[in-house]
Amino acid sequence: MADLLEIRGISASYGRIQAIAGVTLSVPDGAVVALLGANGAGKTTTLNTISRLVPVTAGSILFEGRPIERASSHAVVRAGISQVPEGREVFRDMSVRENLEMGAYGRSDRAGIRQDIDRAFDYFPILKERLQQKAGTLSGGEQQMLVIARALMARPRLLLLDEPSLGLSPVLVEKIFAIIRRLNADGLGILLVEQNASVALGASSYAYILENGEVAVEGRSADLRHDDSVRRTYIG
Amino acid sequence: MDKDLILLFLQQGIVSGMVVGSVYALLALSIVMIFKTSEVPNFAQGEIFMAAGYCALFLLVFQATPVWLAVPLTLVVAFAGAALFRRVVLTQVSRASGSPVNLVIATLGLSYVLKGLVRRTGFGDTPRSFPALVSTDGVMIGQASITRLDVAIFLTALAVMAFLFCLFAYTKVGRAMRAVGMNPKAARLMGVDLQRIHMLVWGLSAVVSAIAALLISPKILMTAEMGGIVTMAFAAAIVGGFTSLPGAVVGGFVIGIAENLVGLFISSRAIVVAPFVAIMLVLIVRPQGLFGGRVAIKKV
Repeated sequence: MADLLEIRGISASYGRIQAIAGVTLSVPDGAVVALLGANGAGKTTTLNTISRLVPVTAGSILFEGRPIERASSHAVVRAGISQVPEGREVFRDMSVRENLEMGAYGRSDRAGIRQDIDRAFDYFPILKERLQQKAGTLSGGEQQMLVIARALMARPRLLLLDEPSLGLSPVLVEKIFAIIRRLNADGLGILLVEQNASVALGASSYAYILENGEVAVEGRSADLRHDDSVRRTYIG
Repeated sequence: MDKDLILLFLQQGIVSGMVVGSVYALLALSIVMIFKTSEVPNFAQGEIFMAAGYCALFLLVFQATPVWLAVPLTLVVAFAGAALFRRVVLTQVSRASGSPVNLVIATLGLSYVLKGLVRRTGFGDTPRSFPALVSTDGVMIGQASITRLDVAIFLTALAVMAFLFCLFAYTKVGRAMRAVGMNPKAARLMGVDLQRIHMLVWGLSAVVSAIAALLISPKILMTAEMGGIVTMAFAAAIVGGFTSLPGAVVGGFVIGIAENLVGLFISSRAIVVAPFVAIMLVLIVRPQGLFGGRVAIKKV
């Protein structure tokens, strides 16, 4: 299968501190790939280099075969990559509807946008009830659903998900991952960053484990789940 | 003081205060919209206002440009100048150092550059008067007497405020400006070009200040120091909470009316103190300003 996203040996640093060094990974078309690792291993930095929020110092990033490592952040969104950042970065003082409309910022097809808002209600019925409410007044779980729905409004072909389970109750985590599986079944490629390794390995087909900014282990998720050393170190 | 006189002074103070307050409100809006998106208090706002006034004066009086051309030309110059400053100078400054203090200093630098430019051209040497574009015939509102020009100032300012409200509430670009103010990182992830939005906000802010200059200049003597009026606009912005656009408008009217009432009831020499007393009173009663949201506690 062709690769949707192909990252070859990218490095990035904050000032003099190297955050990731020579990371190579790929997301095949229509796959869910997990990116695991401890705090500070470079998972979020990897996503932010793809979204072009962090400059790349070496290596290349190919999206659908085209290099994007020098593109601007807005060009990447327009190309078809949306990121759901960690920590539920909603536009607090905007209504849920306005948040969703901001997600469609790069689009001008009004009918399509309206249709996609309806599709978002289909995935996340609670958002329909909250439509006129300010995003800052939503609960943590609702905000998480809103940021995912908002990212989908750009009609991405690749979704970068950063810690979607963080701070959510087990019931909500189950709910969010059911939606992730459904999105994937609808053809969306997903690169999933998680600290909760057992949940992430269950939801993905392939996984990479980062350690100190480098890929330490990679393999099929099903294999990693049953690998003893991986279990001891990352699942516990 | 008898009751009739008090009533008369009250009416006059409120009506005159609304007129000058509407101009303070425009300037306060210019300051707040930049602060919300760039987190920089623009200390050059008064000089942008002053320079735009001189630009219009130059076109109207010295070049005899017709009004229908001079006014839009002034607004275009203000927009382009401010957008360019943001693009070239501030981008460069923030690249060299992330500290917002340096951005603030850059705006101080701009204020001196603009003042220097106006002085150098020679227009700023002597106080000049700006031609009134509307007649200054008297109008009575209740018992308060103002001029047709005052009415035009007030109505134009209201129209600009209404335009800004619609822009921020209903247009895509206005919504993107608010989004950048609330959460720049998330805005970038939505595909917003931050650079472009910052340029547009600075340009828009300068246009609003230029309109304020066109409105108030016929009522004052123009000097290179006329940008000092921005003190009142900062006062208005602070009263309103400094991050709230409706707050800036209310703050503008509060300061304008306070100034006029103090002038009428106490002494015209006490006018300069009025805005600061208003700031202190508001900050004592409501430290976050009239429209400032919850008090933000920043982790250091």
